[in-house]
Amino acid sequence: MTDSGHKHTRAARLAKYLMGGPPLLFLLLLFAVPSVIMVLASFRYPGEFGGLAPLTAADPNTLQGVTLETYQFFFSDLIYIKVFIKSFFMALATTLICLIMAYPLALLIALSPKKNRNLMVLMVILPFASNFLIRVYAWMIILGPQSVLSQLVNNFLHLFGNAPVHLLFSPFAVLIAMVYVHLPFMVLPLYSNLEKHDPSLLDAAQDLGANGWQRFWRVTFPLSLPGIFSGSALVFIPVLGMFAIPDILGGTGDMLIGNLIKEQFIGTRDWPFGSTLSIMLTIAVLLIAWLAAKLGGHRGHYA
Amino acid sequence: MIWRVLLLFILLFIDAAHADDVLHLYNWNNYIPAQTIARFEASCACRVVQDYYSDNEEMLAKLAAGASGYDLIVPTGNAVESLIRQGALRPLDKNLLPNLHNIDPAYLNAAFDPSNRYSVPYAYTLTLIGYNREKIRELDLTTDSWAIIFEPIYLKKLKGRVTVLDSQRELLAAALKYLGYSVNDVDEVHWKQARDLIIRAKPYWAAFNASSYIKELTVGNIWLVHGYSNDIFQADLDAQKANRKFRIVSSIPKEGAVMALDSMVLQKTGSHPDLSHRFINFMLDGRNSAELTNLIGSGNPNRDALQYIRPEISQNPAVFPNRAQQVRLEMLHDLNRHQRRILSRIWTQIKLK
Amino acid sequence: MHRGPRLWAAALAVYAFLYVPIAIIIAYSFNDSRLNAEWVGFTWHWYKVLLHDHDMLVAAGNSLFIALVSSLVATVLGTMAGIAIQRYNFTLLNFMVLMPVAMPEILLGVSLLLFFIQVLNLTLGMLSIVLAHITFSIGFVAVIVRARLAGLDESIFEAARDLGASPWETFRYVTFPLILPGVIAGGLMAFTLSIDDFVITFFTAGVGLSTLPLHIYSMIKIAVTPEVNAISTLLILLTLTMIALASKFTSNALLKKP
Repeated sequence: MTDSGHKHTRAARLAKYLMGGPPLLFLLLLFAVPSVIMVLASFRYPGEFGGLAPLTAADPNTLQGVTLETYQFFFSDLIYIKVFIKSFFMALATTLICLIMAYPLALLIALSPKKNRNLMVLMVILPFASNFLIRVYAWMIILGPQSVLSQLVNNFLHLFGNAPVHLLFSPFAVLIAMVYVHLPFMVLPLYSNLEKHDPSLLDAAQDLGANGWQRFWRVTFPLSLPGIFSGSALVFIPVLGMFAIPDILGGTGDMLIGNLIKEQFIGTRDWPFGSTLSIMLTIAVLLIAWLAAKLGGHRGHYA
Repeated sequence: MIWRVLLLFILLFIDAAHADDVLHLYNWNNYIPAQTIARFEASCACRVVQDYYSDNEEMLAKLAAGASGYDLIVPTGNAVESLIRQGALRPLDKNLLPNLHNIDPAYLNAAFDPSNRYSVPYAYTLTLIGYNREKIRELDLTTDSWAIIFEPIYLKKLKGRVTVLDSQRELLAAALKYLGYSVNDVDEVHWKQARDLIIRAKPYWAAFNASSYIKELTVGNIWLVHGYSNDIFQADLDAQKANRKFRIVSSIPKEGAVMALDSMVLQKTGSHPDLSHRFINFMLDGRNSAELTNLIGSGNPNRDALQYIRPEISQNPAVFPNRAQQVRLEMLHDLNRHQRRILSRIWTQIKLK
Repeated sequence: MHRGPRLWAAALAVYAFLYVPIAIIIAYSFNDSRLNAEWVGFTWHWYKVLLHDHDMLVAAGNSLFIALVSSLVATVLGTMAGIAIQRYNFTLLNFMVLMPVAMPEILLGVSLLLFFIQVLNLTLGMLSIVLAHITFSIGFVAVIVRARLAGLDESIFEAARDLGASPWETFRYVTFPLILPGVIAGGLMAFTLSIDDFVITFFTAGVGLSTLPLHIYSMIKIAVTPEVNAISTLLILLTLTMIALASKFTSNALLKKP
């Protein structure tokens, strides 16, 4: 992807900075600088009323200066690691279910006549036109004990002599809403990838005697891996930081990292510890993103 | 074309936000009737703009994050205490509040603001047990003690039908009360006992919930809650409106409970102190104050308001507790940063167990 | 590969999964019950309530304004970023663009809040929300535009260069028309993300300014009435119209290729 021709090099560099400069500047100012402030905050003491304790105070009795106490606190009890592991599995489950649901849909759209594709993609995005909280609220209605679904499930369980279950306020409710809210993030990159596959490859495979499944597993699926990885990253990461869904639909045990971080800022007013938790989460997320990028990028160079 | 229409549409809204005198009120959601606001706006030729919070901690966090310029806030006592100690409030000018004498002296001079330099009582709520009367009767359970929330022998009959507040302070306070401690006990050993009590009861609870339990009670999904008196009142009103065959009632446990006195205070950075005083005085008028109680079933510290309050509310002991019950009520105090951090960890342990 | 019946069945099931909750939201906006737990009867009542709910309307107007402005800016910046990353290998920018997407929303919200208050000394309000929304939207637009570019045959650009096209001409007549569907998809995504955002807005909203999600969140804290379903239904209709128009313009533009 590098420019070869000598006479173009300078123009290309100019184009690179003309194109990339404005977004870079914007993000440096509104993302990098605030992030640095956040990292610094994790080494401070919490203010008595929230916020941060001063770095220097005239009164020597006031808590001041920098400290590693939030990190010590984090590792002093396994509970915080457990929250991370729990959130990781929730994100993993959501991603897998999203993938299983999104793939046939994305494939169907990609294989449809061109004039229909835009409409079909729009139909995936349209549910996004309603507010996120409303979409979560819809599941409160669907999963509520009076709902048709709940009664069906419980009648079914009753047939086999099982005790009735509560669908609402459960890890199941959290998972289904997580999938519902994030599904389009999986469909779009997948479609974007599948759509540009060269049909002649499949024709060639067919000429070589491959049946439908073989053509899918040997040709379509490997080629779609970059789409799978970017879609997975787009689902996995927001789920990892989500707090609203466990808040609204969760039961007594549904606490994820997002809830914990939110609580530090909105409940406990412990910004330094909240920053520490966020940094831990960022590290986890970076590892995952790096992994996805590496896998996706590696397989992506087929051109 | 569509963009032009949209632009006009948007300008319409932005234009509506312009007015000469605007009172910025930072308040609990649904904590003032629309008609009361309308009357005040008519009387002052100004506009009241409200922002809402659903939790004291949320409000304190936003103020700690630099949100400024509110004229009036309606925090609970412990939050008032915190705001006073931060120096975030403006002292009141009592000369501008002739209606202050309407307030029952029992609600003045609270520990969080002795001699009411900064705060004027607005309304109060209790944190207690609310329940579906018919269901609890059917199951032959008694609701006069926190035991029904915490003891597995009673909870067995209620599995999956109980919610408790998703509030660290409130749930801990109930557990501490049941164990015979003060709601403001900060002994870590007692906190751990309370934690273990909660963890033992947790498998029987349907959810930690601070929001939708009102609806769940009304619909009949949930039979017993640890909740706020005004929410339980709301659930009962809704159940009656929906012609449900049950009533939602509440009881103050014999061990005692938390009382939250919400007060009006002036933020220092607000730019309309005169208008704010007029608003406070307006709300101290018995008729205006009663309107709130009639709407949401909150307790009312205003003596002049009692005559305008619907009798079924004023005679409800869970809204207006009698003297004997009042003795068992406690207000929460603010925790320091260390205590907040420890409590947060205990809460995480509770949630994850 | 054929669009066999099994594929159709699976895809239709997913569409159903996407639309049943939406249908329920819309249906229940006509439900004659404040509780909204079961169907009681048909009513227009909640739309009338909505028309008189000044706060809700103002919040909805704010949300629309913020979404329009932030998605427009984010689309421009995100497209530029996507091109710079894919065509010119701008690795630093790639990192910077992906990070806000990778970050937990709450962290972005609070770090921005600290920044606005402590560094910029900016009064929180429309501007701070718009800036925050642009920050997290750029990445989504860039990812989609980049994915689109990655699928294009590199030889097209080489051909353009060999024919003597300047980088600008290559962009204007080759790259841009080819990535336009990605740009539009990215812009729509930025719009929906902005309209939807609750967490970051919560931290960057100031005094007296509410958005629809903030308002709805407050309502959920007490009890949601079908009024919320009603505003949601209207929003769906509005976005539907906008998207229908947008796609019409796009397909026209695509058909009129020189």
